[in-house]
Amino acid sequence: MRSYLLTTAAAAALALAMNTGASAAGWDGADDLPTSPLACDASAPAAPAAKPYDGGKAVNAPDKAGKEISVVDVPKLIGIGYFNATSKGIADAAKDLGNVKVKTDGPTEAKIDEQIKFIDNYITSGVDGILFAANDPVAIAPVLKKALSKGIHVVGYDANSTPDAREWFVNQAEFNGIAKAMMDSMAKEAGEDAAFGIVTSTFTTPNQARWIAEMQAYGAKCHPKMKWLETVEAQEDNVLSFNQATTLLNKYGDKIKGLFGMTSVATPAGAEAVTKAGLCGKVAEVGLATPNAMKPYVHSGCVKSVVLWNPIDLGYAAMYVMRAVVDGKLKAGDASVDAGKLGKLNVVNGSEILLGAPYIYSKDNIDKFDF
Amino acid sequence: MSTIALSGASSARAPFWRRLSSQEMLLAVAIVGLALVVGLVNPRFLSANNLADILLGNAYIAVAAIGMSMVIITGNIDISVGALIGVLATVSGSLAVAGAPIAVTWLAPLVFGMLVMGLQGAIVAYVGIPAIVVTLGMLSILRGGLISVTGGKWITDLPDAFHLADIEIFGFIPMPVAIMVVATILAAVWMRWWPLGRAIYATGGNPEAARLSGVSPRRTLVLVFVLHGFFAGVAALLFATQLRVIQSTTPSGLEFTIITASVVGGVSILGGVGTVVGSTLAAILIAEITSALVFINISPFWTHALQGALILATVIADIERRRRRLAGAIR
Repeated sequence: MRSYLLTTAAAAALALAMNTGASAAGWDGADDLPTSPLACDASAPAAPAAKPYDGGKAVNAPDKAGKEISVVDVPKLIGIGYFNATSKGIADAAKDLGNVKVKTDGPTEAKIDEQIKFIDNYITSGVDGILFAANDPVAIAPVLKKALSKGIHVVGYDANSTPDAREWFVNQAEFNGIAKAMMDSMAKEAGEDAAFGIVTSTFTTPNQARWIAEMQAYGAKCHPKMKWLETVEAQEDNVLSFNQATTLLNKYGDKIKGLFGMTSVATPAGAEAVTKAGLCGKVAEVGLATPNAMKPYVHSGCVKSVVLWNPIDLGYAAMYVMRAVVDGKLKAGDASVDAGKLGKLNVVNGSEILLGAPYIYSKDNIDKFDF
Repeated sequence: MSTIALSGASSARAPFWRRLSSQEMLLAVAIVGLALVVGLVNPRFLSANNLADILLGNAYIAVAAIGMSMVIITGNIDISVGALIGVLATVSGSLAVAGAPIAVTWLAPLVFGMLVMGLQGAIVAYVGIPAIVVTLGMLSILRGGLISVTGGKWITDLPDAFHLADIEIFGFIPMPVAIMVVATILAAVWMRWWPLGRAIYATGGNPEAARLSGVSPRRTLVLVFVLHGFFAGVAALLFATQLRVIQSTTPSGLEFTIITASVVGGVSILGGVGTVVGSTLAAILIAEITSALVFINISPFWTHALQGALILATVIADIERRRRRLAGAIR
């Protein structure tokens, strides 16, 4: 009993001791790495190609420039909406190109050992190119290198391998691009002077920490009057995300005008919290999420923008990059590549192709996606 | 004889008010005290909305802790319950999306939960494998099975009528809170005054003595696991119907939170002692702490540390109490 009271007392003491801790310079949940905020207007300048090409090379690949090629796409797993969408994009691109035979095949579970087996089988059966989204960046490297050594072209998308195990990787979104889309959406919906809170997974989760740091940098540059209130952790837990979002709404009352969801779990849970609190239209929920989870809130009008990339475009770009590599139109040192209806895409980070600005899902387009 | 009686029966036989005066009263004081302290720092904490939200969002923990408390009182433990709740939520949600009648989607997790837990209880009771081993195995089976079957895909597009947790009784009492309160009271009354309920304490306190007095520890154990499965089913239902998305992964660490609620609620990890009123109050306290940390700007890194400190403090207090009682009995 005494220990119990002691604990309570200690908690109370802690409460008072830590109360001043929130006014630090960096937002909670941001990392300390250097940031590179994009320009405030829409013109995203091409990032300077500071890094030399660090991808691999297909050894003695037969010259099939302009000729029909057969390509296999091995995503992390098949049968889920997300990779159905990338697969559709790849097929669309093959149709637009007219000289590619492509098929998507892969494990039904996101397991690296299965994925390796699939790729190995296709190396044996003989293809001209392999597209992949890796279940594990390191574990997949040997089998991809084997493909390269047999003259098969290798291009990744969505989830990278170590750079030297493939030729190019189509990067769906860079941190500063996501950050810009998030902050711009929030400013548009909640106002240039809005105060907002953030629900993230944990303060140390790498991707989220990067996004938050870039959001802070971009916000300081382009939306200086917006006010960050607080970041709360919610793991990747549905109900905890809801509870934490609700707590923020209750804590700040009329002061809070916006909520960011930094994970695909936190965003729908935040939207639910805003809905249940009867604050739709008063508090803007903006975040990273997949369309299916957000459809109820987008349809009800409670959520206006869901930030992500478009997986159909991602697959489309990957196929065009593959064709360009085979045709010799994308070589080490090039600054951009032509990607059909997507236009010119920039080369970043040595051997990556940036898909472009993130995609904003809204009432008008969200029903076209099923993942 | 007095040493036999001391662990379970003596506390169960003590006057109701005296048993309440221990852990339950402490928890109630802690809940009110914490609310007042945090209210001083930020008065918004005490708004009716916020207090209701704390209860609403965490009622499922308290409901699951009812069954967990029964299991721990028998001297066992179950670490599969978090994974089971994830599976049951997925079962219920999948049925709802497939268009099953709402009654079926609500009953299925209860039935399935009772089956899975009943099976585990039977293995513990009749094969004689310790519960921690059996439930550890089940944890892996459920967790792996869930990911294999769903491929990690979330359940969305749930019908509106499915959302049990959104119902408000008389237009203002949220269903999760009502279920938490009613379930706690019914379970507490049953465990206090029904012979079968009392048998739970006897089984955990001293199985040998229980058998001599006509209680079958094995049958009681299976019954307790079945009941635990029922409450896990109810918890899963609240968990599944609260939001518009069901994550097809098991909520990690959920069993830890549930066990914490039981233990901090005064349920002795050594068996034979504890009440579900205590575990429900502890679940409320833990939820209150999580919310309070945000209100008074304490880093969430402290949440787990505080939970851990609460457990240690309670277990030490429990062991201390037993030692004193034992010393008294010998004297």
